[in-house]
Order: sequence, then C-alpha cells, then structure tokens
Amino acid sequence: MEFVDAFVVSLQSVWNDSGFSSFTVGNGVMIVVGLLLLYMAFVKEFEPLLLGPIAFGCILANFPNTGFFGEEMNVMKAINLGIQYEIFPPLIFLGIGAMTDFGPLLARPWTLLLGAAAQIGVFVALAGAMIVGFDVKEAAAIGIIGGADGPTSIYLSIKLAPHLLGAIAVAAYTYMSLVPMIQPPIMKLLTTQKEREVVMTELRQVTKFERVVFPIVATIFISLLLPPIAALLGMLMLGNLLRESGVTDRLSDTAQNSLCNIVTIFLATGTGMTMNADDFLKADTLLIICLGLIAFMGGTAGGVLLGKVMCRVTGWKINPLIGSAGVSAVPMAARVSQLVGMKAKPGNYLLMHAMGPNVAGVIGTAVAAGTMLAMLK
Amino acid sequence: MGHPVTTNPFIIMMINMTVVFIVLVALSFLIQLIHKIDPTKEPEEKESAPHVEEDEMQRIIKNVKSSKTVTHLDVPGEDDDSIPEEVIAAIVAAIARCGINGEVRAVRLADKNNTAWKSNARSNLGGRR
Repeated sequence: MEFVDAFVVSLQSVWNDSGFSSFTVGNGVMIVVGLLLLYMAFVKEFEPLLLGPIAFGCILANFPNTGFFGEEMNVMKAINLGIQYEIFPPLIFLGIGAMTDFGPLLARPWTLLLGAAAQIGVFVALAGAMIVGFDVKEAAAIGIIGGADGPTSIYLSIKLAPHLLGAIAVAAYTYMSLVPMIQPPIMKLLTTQKEREVVMTELRQVTKFERVVFPIVATIFISLLLPPIAALLGMLMLGNLLRESGVTDRLSDTAQNSLCNIVTIFLATGTGMTMNADDFLKADTLLIICLGLIAFMGGTAGGVLLGKVMCRVTGWKINPLIGSAGVSAVPMAARVSQLVGMKAKPGNYLLMHAMGPNVAGVIGTAVAAGTMLAMLK
Repeated sequence: MGHPVTTNPFIIMMINMTVVFIVLVALSFLIQLIHKIDPTKEPEEKESAPHVEEDEMQRIIKNVKSSKTVTHLDVPGEDDDSIPEEVIAAIVAAIARCGINGEVRAVRLADKNNTAWKSNARSNLGGRR
C-alpha cells in the first residue's frame, strides 16, 4: 500500500511540475501560430533564416513551467537579455555593413532622397496608430515596421514600447519576407508602362578612397547629430569599413558570416520567445499587424512616387521602380525592383541602380528611429 | 524617459520627415564632397580608358590582313551599325595570337545597353537561381 501511495504522490508531483497542468488555450493557440510560422519559413521559404528561429522561439515560449524567465540564469534568459540590453541589433548591423556594397549609393548620392521618401510609411503608420488609440511611444515603435528593417524595429521597440516587441518584430519580419508579394502591385499601380521601361545609365566608378572615407564621415556626422542611434549606425559603418579597408578581410569575413549567423539565431529565437500567449494574444496585436502593413505599403508608395518625380525632373533618366527599394529590406527590395523592371522590359537590369536607394533605406530607417527617439524620449 | 515634446500625430509626422530628409540630403552633400576631394580620382579615370598606340594598331591590322587565318568572314549587322574592317581584323588577330587555328565565321555587335553593371547583375541573378 505504501508503494502505491508513493507512486501516486510521485505521479501527482510529476503532473504538477509538468507543462500540461498549467497549459492554457492561449498557449495552444500560440504553438499553432508558431507551427504556422514554421510552415511559412521552411515550406514556403519566406525568410527562413529569420522566421524559422522566431517560430521555434514562439513555440518554446509557450511551454509553461520552463523557468526560462525566472530568477536563475539560463541560456534562454541570457538570449533575452541580449535583446533587452540592445546588444543583438547593432551586431546584426555590423554584419549587414560588412555584407553591403555602398558603391551604388556613393555613385549616385541623390538616391538617399528615395531612401528618405520611403520613410513616409513609418510616419503614416505612426499617425494611424495614434488615431486608433496607441500612445505616442507605442505608435512610433509600430510605425518603424514600415522601414522594413528588423533590427531597427527591435531596437526602437525595446526603447519605446518593450511590451509590444513580439508583435512588432513578427510583423516586421513577416512583411520583410513578403516583400516580393506586397511591393509589385503597388509599384505597377503607381507607374506607367513607359516609366517602368526607362533604361538607366551606367553608374560611375567609385574609388577606394570614397568607399573608405564615407563610413567614417557618416559615423561622425550621424552619431553627433543623433546619438541615440550611434550604436546602430556606428556598427553598420564599422562593418562596411572592415569590408572596404582591404586589410581586415578576416574580420570582415567573420562579421558577415559567422558572427552575423550566430547573432541572427540568438536575435530571432529571442524575438520569438517574446511571443508568449499573455503578451501576444490581444486585439492590439492584430492592430499592429494591420498598421505594419499600412506602413510598409506607404513606404513603398512614397519611394515610387518620389522616383516618378525624379524621372520627370531628370528627363526620363531614372526608373521610378528603384524608389520602392527605399524601404530597407536589403537586398530583397532591390531584387523586386529588378524583377518588375525586367518584366516591363526584358534586358533592363535595375538591380545595381536599386541598391543605392536600398542602402539609403537602411540609413534612412535608422535616422527615422533616431529622430523619434530624440523627440519622444 | 521624460514626456514627449508633442503628442499631435501630424506634427510628429511632419517634423520627423523633415529631419530625415535634411539628414539624408546633408549626407548626400558629404558624399559629393568626398568625391570632390578624392586625391585618387584622376589617376583611376585615366587608367579606366587605356588607349592603344595608333601605329601599333595599324601594324597589327596590316599583319592580320596579310594572314591566312581568315578564310571567310561573314559580318551580319545593321546598316548603320556595321563593324569596321579594322576592328574585325583586330579581333581575328587576337584570336590567332592565342594560338587558335580555324576561321572566324561571324562577328556581331553586342547589345549596346549591355553594360558592365548589367553583366554583373545578370551573373548575380544567375547565381541565385
């Protein structure tokens, strides 16, 4: 009899400590959401490198009694601290800087205007979010989704609205993965066939001097003007400097491969782990996802519309399709410009031309985030 | 964090857009300034346009014209874009100098819009597929 009692007590203890005893419907829903995101990442191949770990983090976050965010330190808590203390987004920017060729931007500095115009979506969504009832800091964090820049979205959310981090990060990365679906209809709607067929002239040669000096000068200028984003922009420019200097190949290689991959795993998994049922299953999440879409579409439209103006002003020398690359999803947005341009006129290669506004978009989104931080903190 | 400067969405939107444009325009001027003061600019531009001595070219053309490598040459091309005989001779000379035996059957103009950037983009896209 004693054996049976002990057996029952042990079983009860195991059950009480198990996740099943505390499992809620909300946890179940979020695990289904995680599985859906996994399907999108691995079967549909929508940004699998990011959505995969985010989805798995979402599933992990919804197991009760794991103690991930308890008082004792563990690997999941350490990953979460990397996000809370804004360590991962600047490190991702280091990798992006090391991977990105600033040449097209340096060859055509005016493409920075397209990067600026594409930020209009950020501010349209900000205004929209305030109108539907979010406070100004939450609205700013939601609006930055329109920049199509995951690390900047996370960076700003942590500073202004940490409780919305999960929804904002998921919306940002989901829309980034859907760039090839969201952008082309807007680009076609806002341009004529004649505009889409514009062939652009070759970019000028950019010297090594320009490539090396630009990241240094840009860091000094932007960091002095907008100190809140010095970490983001500084790391972006450091990564690019490592790439262009020609004498730090090993560091550049590490920044753009090993380090970037490791930090991507941590950042994406940690972001997914913010998606627990209590924080995520709210009406606000749906609103954020809708506002994010508006921001994204607004950004695309803003870039294309300024591209149209530039097309006219320059006497049909600029294809307005490159304006959509002003949202900073690098290099996907530039590839979308290329694909839409190729459909309009086979043989018209816009990829390198679109990389200018694309890089400008990365800088523009960071500047928009810095401006909002300076205004709203 | 303290209180925001304003909570009017329209004002926030306008101020932020203005600041973003000003910063990026200023950055654009900085890029142009860097280009202007670039001490390495001129030598590179000179290097990018190498020219062959005219006498040397004439000598090659003369050699090729007297060579037996070209047995037959068909030059398809548009009337206004025909390829000068000297250019064809230079191409044939280059091939012959590489030690390739045979005959050049056709020479055609590449697409005028086929720039280095486009070739790069094409190979880039090809690699991603």
